[in-house]
Amino acid sequence: MNRDNLINYLLEKHPGKIELLDTGKVEPFFALDKEYLLEFCRSIKTDETLTIDFLCNIAAVDTGEKLEVVYSVASAKNRIRFDFKVVMPYEEAEVESVQTVWAGANWHEREIWELFGINVRNHDNLTRFLLPDDWNQGNPMRKNWDAPDFIRMPEL
Amino acid sequence: MGLIRKLPVYLEKFPGGGLVTTSLDYVFSQSQASSLWYLLFGTACCAIELMATGASRYDFDRLGMIFRASPRQSDLIIAAGTITKKMAPRLRLLYDQMAEPRYVIAMGGCTVKGGPFYYDSYAVEKGINHIVPVDVYIPGCPPRPESLLEGCLTLQKKIKRLKIGDWS
Repeated sequence: MNRDNLINYLLEKHPGKIELLDTGKVEPFFALDKEYLLEFCRSIKTDETLTIDFLCNIAAVDTGEKLEVVYSVASAKNRIRFDFKVVMPYEEAEVESVQTVWAGANWHEREIWELFGINVRNHDNLTRFLLPDDWNQGNPMRKNWDAPDFIRMPEL
Repeated sequence: MGLIRKLPVYLEKFPGGGLVTTSLDYVFSQSQASSLWYLLFGTACCAIELMATGASRYDFDRLGMIFRASPRQSDLIIAAGTITKKMAPRLRLLYDQMAEPRYVIAMGGCTVKGGPFYYDSYAVEKGINHIVPVDVYIPGCPPRPESLLEGCLTLQKKIKRLKIGDWS
């Protein structure tokens, strides 16, 4: 399945629910709604044509205006790779956990919960992952984060 | 240690006692300085530099320095590599488990003052002097083995100046 076939297939399969973003990269990049996320993940996992069996990475992005959670997925069987993301405002920083679809999402989600403060619903083990256990200084990967001993690079 | 610390005080009062204590000082400090066993403790790239210094080309062994994998048998802890805030309590624990007299060398920019992670880092401890008392600082990123040997020689000079009474 080449790139155009994959894009057409996904857009036909989920009409109006996902949109293709123009990134100029080889792998297609889709944006979708937060509410549709879990359903979409389940469908691409169980779809015979796709069989997306591997979650490469979950990354969160703080753009300065909104928060994004980017999912990179792949299929080893059908040799497919694509990414999709959900965008949310700061006030509603919350996504549905996809660990029921790909078990590997567990640690990635703990990481975004801890570093970005994005709440993950229905996650079975939201505990500290990278930071010290007694950390109480908020979410350090946010753009507006600050701490007493945090020194920003001076503008040159 | 209690006896050794009190011994010079009593010895000084005997005739010729001063000579004995200075000789004792010399013997003890010389033997201590030339058998600095260091703890195997490397957290980042400086550890590779430390290994290179321990290997045959630079050879720590000619300073009488042998690595020990246990804090109970080491006199020196070379903090080689970045110390993050999560690692800091572990470093402190190892330091606390070492027997006196004990020494610390801060190797590389990260342990001296945060180094390349001084700016824009939420995780790195900015200098290990916040955690343990440091005897010798070695700047560099990473310091070459020559720098590390220089630092160890500096520490040896420091130890050779010590008197028995200084041992805590």
